[in-house]
Amino acid sequence: MFFALTDDQREFDGAVRSYLSERFDLAAVREVFEDVSGDGHPASLWKAAADQGWLAVTVPEDQEGLGLGLVEAQVIARALGAGAAPGPWRGTVLAAEAVRLAGSDEQKAAWLPRLATGDAVGAFTLRGSAPGTLTAVEYGGVADVVVARSADGLVLVTGATATPQGSYDGTTRLASVEAGAGEALPGATAEVIAELEARATVLVAADLAGIAREAVSRTVAYDKERSQFGVPVGSFQAIKHALADLHVAVTLAEHAVLYASYAVDAKLDGADLAVAVAKAKAGDAAVAATAAMIQYHGGIGYTWEHEAHFFYKRAKRLAGQYGDADAQREKIATLTI
Amino acid sequence: MDLTYTAAEEEFRSELRSWLQANIPDEWQRPNFWESLDDDESFRLRRDWERDKALAGFAGIQWPTEFGGRGGTPGMKAIYDVEMVLANAPRSVNPLGLTFLAPTVMAIGTEQQKKDIIGPLLRSEVIWCQGFSEPGAGSDLAALSTKGVRDGDDFVVNGQKVWTTNAVHGDKIFTMVRTTPGSEKHRGISMLLIDMHQDGVDARPLKQMSGASEFGEVFFDDARVPATDVLGAVDDGWRTAMLLLSFERGASGISQYTEFRRQYDEVVAVAKKLGRDKDPVIRGKLARVLTDLECLRLHAMHVQTEVELGHDLGFEASMTKLIWSEPSQDLWEVFDDILGEDATLSELSLDSGGSEDITALHAQAMWSRSVTIWGGSSQVQRNVTAERVLGLPR
Repeated sequence: MFFALTDDQREFDGAVRSYLSERFDLAAVREVFEDVSGDGHPASLWKAAADQGWLAVTVPEDQEGLGLGLVEAQVIARALGAGAAPGPWRGTVLAAEAVRLAGSDEQKAAWLPRLATGDAVGAFTLRGSAPGTLTAVEYGGVADVVVARSADGLVLVTGATATPQGSYDGTTRLASVEAGAGEALPGATAEVIAELEARATVLVAADLAGIAREAVSRTVAYDKERSQFGVPVGSFQAIKHALADLHVAVTLAEHAVLYASYAVDAKLDGADLAVAVAKAKAGDAAVAATAAMIQYHGGIGYTWEHEAHFFYKRAKRLAGQYGDADAQREKIATLTI
Repeated sequence: MDLTYTAAEEEFRSELRSWLQANIPDEWQRPNFWESLDDDESFRLRRDWERDKALAGFAGIQWPTEFGGRGGTPGMKAIYDVEMVLANAPRSVNPLGLTFLAPTVMAIGTEQQKKDIIGPLLRSEVIWCQGFSEPGAGSDLAALSTKGVRDGDDFVVNGQKVWTTNAVHGDKIFTMVRTTPGSEKHRGISMLLIDMHQDGVDARPLKQMSGASEFGEVFFDDARVPATDVLGAVDDGWRTAMLLLSFERGASGISQYTEFRRQYDEVVAVAKKLGRDKDPVIRGKLARVLTDLECLRLHAMHVQTEVELGHDLGFEASMTKLIWSEPSQDLWEVFDDILGEDATLSELSLDSGGSEDITALHAQAMWSRSVTIWGGSSQVQRNVTAERVLGLPR
């Protein structure tokens, strides 16, 4: 029995986290967050994502990728969530996954090396259908290619017009995309689309787990120091019990995301259940942990100057993506009742 | 990632499964069979069966062979726990001795204690109780007041223990006793191994809210225990107790998942019989419980991994208790929600006519109220998680 990250996977995790803490900390996130008219796609972070293999993670080695799996991808997603990092990482990875699983040889050759090296930016959505208007596409404004549904399956959309959409989650930019008919991905069967949705859901759940852990860690650290009534507020049992419960919930969300990523890669029986459990648990944990982060910082936690709202707002957006916790629980009910 | 067991472990599984299939009478699988027996008869049957199982080599799975154990791997122990649940095997008559006392004796017992205690315990010849809680010392164990006074070669013990599992069927009791008069808190306590078959010891059953009497209270009135029957050093009983309780993490969460998942399916079956399985509120509640049960399974895999790597889980055990006990309790709350205004009825009235006895399910629901109390209440576990895992100030 080995249900844990390997040393290599831990190293990958450490590399992403040290880059963010040293080179793209929350002060850098704030610049992006407050630059409302900007594209939310900082060049330095994108270069790091390309150079350090964050974009190449699941692309096959013969297409300039690392040939790793969803387990490694969720390691990166979790670290990016913990850093509230902006940029089109997830969309690019998922666009590459769509091409890898459903593309023709020509499409793979045309797109996979470019997506793996950061030469092209990808976006991925399962909302709406091309041709037509695709709503709230993550980084639709900077994407060179958008993977979207069509009447028959999935298509690659290029050259589309994108209009920015306002969103209170300033860590991510969303756009409305006027998509043409696009170019069909020939292998996009219902099964492949379902697998892509599972992969997308796991990566969102991983970001949420990263957010949730960071929110708990930062709140614990603050409540050890913040003193009221002559004692640290973290010594009060009302706060201790709430943080203990959140720590347990986040720990379980981390297990659930790790297992779901493996279950999808290994095509385990019960992978569908594992993905729904991961998304439900991580979504609930992240919303609860970030709300608690605001509450247990007191007044300062409610200010614009404090970073708590970055995490809370990002959690709110992602918790709803690919089905919120209630929608996941309905899937769980269907699978187990 | 490797979520499989080794070939040797799977071989062990098939041997154990065959033995269980051949050695659990069909009659025992009948619904309400155990509830239909009186306590003494139930205990005797289970005690004999557990002895036979030990003699067949299916006990002390991870214990070293020098102590009569099987010398197996942590994976074999997990398999053993799961197979016992799957086979619907009788509950152990000696859980506290097997889980807590034996490994502690192996670690710090004298050679004579190892020889005298472990073999008879493994074969169910001696049933061990745990004498920790007292009327004035529950979560606050260090408030205990049972006294032991040295008299020649013996200690003479006076006081009372409570919530003692198997009190009326116990032969011996490992007991936390204040052996230094006037000592406070965790100092001056010794772990005495007391023979319950003497005039100075009186064990009485306590009836639980479920109606069963699995625990009781034990009164010591000038009970005598030889000074050689101290586990660990005299007045060092707190350290002995902490070591002893650390073995709780040996219990396998994978088997708990197996048991609770079966209960989940039983509750779902009731929902279907009542047509409540289409109610979106009930579906949401069931799915919430199932989510937490799946997370219990994954947490158990995490714990199993850490155990196999030889890592010390330390205070994570407090989280583990919350992770298994709370969802198992939540499940039975949903059960009552499904039953609605008929929640308390002993029989399920079926739409198709007829009825079905659900007293065994109610018994499990009642039992679930205890799991967040014994072995450290949920509130204590939250304190420990906050202070020892998260490092929040005391």
